[in-house]
Amino acid sequence: MEAYLVAMAIITAIYVLLALGLNLQYGLTGLTNFGHVGFFCIGAYTAALMGQIGIPWPISFLAGAALAALAAWPLGLVSLKLRDDYFAIVSLGFSEIVRIVVTSEQWLTKGVQGITGIPKLLGFLGTGLTQSLAVLALLIAVNVLAGLANRRIVRSPFGRMIEAIRDNEEAVKALGKDPAGFKIQVLMLGAALAGVAGGFYAHYIGYIVPEQFIPLITFYVWMAIIIGGVGRISGAFAGTLILMIFLEGSRFLRGVIPFVSEVEMASIRLGIIGLALVLFTLYRPQGLMGDYTKR
Amino acid sequence: MMNRRQLLATMASTTLLATAREGFAQGAPTFRIAALNPITGSGAAYGAGMQKMILAAVEEVNAAGGAGGRKIEVVAEDTQSQPQAGVLAAKKLIEIDKVQGLIGIWSSGVALATIPLANDANILFMCTSGAPEITNPQVNSKGLVYRFNTTGDGYGRAFAEACAREGFKRPATMAFNNASGIGIVDGFRKAWEKNGGKVVEAVVYEPNQPSYRSELQKVLAAKPDVIVTGSYLPDTTIILREWFQTGDTQKWMLPGQAANPDLIKAIGPEASEGLFVVNSISNEMSTAYAKFDAAYRKAMNQPGTSNIYAAMAWDMVIVLALAMEAAGPNANVAAINAKIREIANPPGKQVSSFAEGKEALKAGKVNYDGASSAVDFNQAGDVLPDFDLSVISKGVITRKNIIKI
Amino acid sequence: MTAYAELMIGGLMSGLVVGLAALAITLVFGIARFANAATGDTMTAGAYVALSVSGATGSVIVGGLVGALAGAAIGVVVYFLIFRKLAGRSSVANLLASIGVAFIIRAIVGVIFEHQQQVFQLPLVRPWRILDIRVQPSDLNLAIVAVLTLATVFLILYATPVGRRMRAVADDPGLARISGISPTRVMIALWALAGSVSAVAGVMYGIKTVVTPEMGWDMLLPAFAAAILGGIGHPVGAICAGILLGTIQEMATPFVGFTYKLAISFVVLLIVLLVRPSGLFGRNEGAR
Repeated sequence: MEAYLVAMAIITAIYVLLALGLNLQYGLTGLTNFGHVGFFCIGAYTAALMGQIGIPWPISFLAGAALAALAAWPLGLVSLKLRDDYFAIVSLGFSEIVRIVVTSEQWLTKGVQGITGIPKLLGFLGTGLTQSLAVLALLIAVNVLAGLANRRIVRSPFGRMIEAIRDNEEAVKALGKDPAGFKIQVLMLGAALAGVAGGFYAHYIGYIVPEQFIPLITFYVWMAIIIGGVGRISGAFAGTLILMIFLEGSRFLRGVIPFVSEVEMASIRLGIIGLALVLFTLYRPQGLMGDYTKR
Repeated sequence: MMNRRQLLATMASTTLLATAREGFAQGAPTFRIAALNPITGSGAAYGAGMQKMILAAVEEVNAAGGAGGRKIEVVAEDTQSQPQAGVLAAKKLIEIDKVQGLIGIWSSGVALATIPLANDANILFMCTSGAPEITNPQVNSKGLVYRFNTTGDGYGRAFAEACAREGFKRPATMAFNNASGIGIVDGFRKAWEKNGGKVVEAVVYEPNQPSYRSELQKVLAAKPDVIVTGSYLPDTTIILREWFQTGDTQKWMLPGQAANPDLIKAIGPEASEGLFVVNSISNEMSTAYAKFDAAYRKAMNQPGTSNIYAAMAWDMVIVLALAMEAAGPNANVAAINAKIREIANPPGKQVSSFAEGKEALKAGKVNYDGASSAVDFNQAGDVLPDFDLSVISKGVITRKNIIKI
Repeated sequence: MTAYAELMIGGLMSGLVVGLAALAITLVFGIARFANAATGDTMTAGAYVALSVSGATGSVIVGGLVGALAGAAIGVVVYFLIFRKLAGRSSVANLLASIGVAFIIRAIVGVIFEHQQQVFQLPLVRPWRILDIRVQPSDLNLAIVAVLTLATVFLILYATPVGRRMRAVADDPGLARISGISPTRVMIALWALAGSVSAVAGVMYGIKTVVTPEMGWDMLLPAFAAAILGGIGHPVGAICAGILLGTIQEMATPFVGFTYKLAISFVVLLIVLLVRPSGLFGRNEGAR
């Protein structure tokens, strides 16, 4: 029981990290990044490949974050030229290109065979509950750090600048500030967080293959921040938790409604997630943690 | 926190009652296993049938009085054919339901992600996935993993043998871009080149496209006399329809997972005329197969030939139950595991059902002859099933000959 | 040379299917101003309805027409229940709601029709040879349907009163409202039109391939790419962009291989957008 809850908590914490990155990008600057899973993928593969040749995880995680941020840079340049909704589709395309490259370049990634035997984090603690708890603690620490950093950014002059960009880009330009540079930096920062999340994911699941990095993951993260409340750090936590309960809860729901077949259950789960998304956008656009005073 | 735990535990036990479908007295010793099948996602065509056959086989075992004095209970979960969902499902099964075996895992991705969990928990693991790594000693480090299906290499050798028998000289290959599709054509190329042959063209394609015409064109440009595919049903349907409409007339050799009555129904008798099918054969002459087939028809309203994985899932339960019986009352997983090869492999009296085996075990050793194959495991944990070469003619799949590799 | 000609025909046909889906997206995008992710699953629903009806009546044409009606009905229902209430909200909010709608439609399709593949039972025909180039009769049918669909959309947009109002709303919603155009009626017409075009695209895709609950969702990315490449709100642009992406993808395969097909679409899209931020045919509105 405990171990299952810890497993759920670890996956949730990984998604929270993704949500914090996206929250920074969309919640603060209005960047419609629909290619988040691409950065996640880059981080995961970097950590897996470096982990396999024995490079310690702190280094490989940093490398993954750096590579993800680097990949975000050209995308940031593109974002400056495009409308929001166009950028959404272009960034979605970016994440698909990342997945296709990882699938095709077998010499590096082993393609569709995937990378097996990625070592566990903190393996010296064995394989039991202690190790899982230690990984969870590490993840929570990283999340708290990311949350605090997020907060600092929001309250710094940089953050006020970011919010100003979201609210009125022209005015910022008129003040002689360069919104373009800020936007790109924010995109890169969010991407780096996704890269770190990827590192944790690869080491936790122990096996990665390109089909794990599909746009659906991006949509899940979007759902999490919409449900939780855009622009709120607490929203990223709450939204992800609720999303996970939706995704995993149906396993337990089936005990209560036994007349539904397993195949139908999968469809119903999808439908419930869809319905939740629709209802939240309709009736609670500011999310659970959102504040009513703004927007 | 305590409240939620209690809630989860209660909910978990309701899941159990709902899925076990077997009423038995409270307090009776039971052995709990997990049906971890691909109900949705890319394995959806097979998952439901696998799950139902696991339940049906368990029903048989319990009807025969249980194994080693215990009834078997089943908890079912969907892997969604995805590693992440598979891992969470396996965690739940191991931690909350305390299952002692994960059986019916289909996709290689899910298998590779969940085997470490089974190893950590020291429970049995039975899958139908093709990726070679699965039974590699590093992955199968505790010898708890059993594969009831052939590997891609085995499949490839059968394809090479079939091509040689039919006198083909210029084979080309087309593969679905995933581990299993590529595994088959790679296995074929290795076997074919070892015998001095040459593969004239090899194309790997991405799924979910509106058309595969350019892929086909590249293959056909090499003027092959046969195209060997590592493919699935939907993509094969589309490719063959497009191929027929290009007017080419070379031959095709397809794996069984792609060529079944649904394919013939989808492309019609004219386009399917003369297609070759290589399949790892269910042990169709065996009594075990007849039992499985009857159960499958009853549960799914389709012949057993349409889902070889369901036959494997059936065998998983019977093998496990016979090993439990041989290990005796209240044996732990290690003791049961030690008996698996003993009851599945020769020597011993050949048996084809649990009831028969239970009876025979009183007298001596048994050798289970399964529905999916003879179910004889090698050191790594793989079976080596026989294959057959069939040809589709007038809308019917007819066996030409058996291939032993 | 014949090889390239045949690649081009293949690309043309894939492009037409993608283009039809892009047409549905571009209609909604042009007037309701968001990328409708439920288009793909409306395609799927249309294909399943057409499949059931043609199975019952024996006529694929009747099936297709009923499918188109079903698509229109889905469009209108979705508008009334959801997107009408989201008018005036950000395009991202609408896009996210449409992802939710997509999931709901797919869930319903999955429960009703289950997950096994189904096909339209149409006879397969050997090709004609024209100048040593293989031409498939089924391609011709596909092209005819695409042209008919486009012609119908044009007739509605340019020769009917409601079409003129739609274009007025697309050009300037504020001005249209001041001139007394009822937005609700225009929107109903729009969603019905977009829904039925989606369904037709789904039927054509289903005839060309196989029908599964995931088919439309899988088609969404290339269709989005084509809609944007063509310039939002531009019907001809959507079809042309679909064809362009389809042919470039196929013609490039001898050089880059098959696994990079979809990537090529996005690279082309990116390059075009960097030069013309509002797409090939789009009016130049500049960034934002």
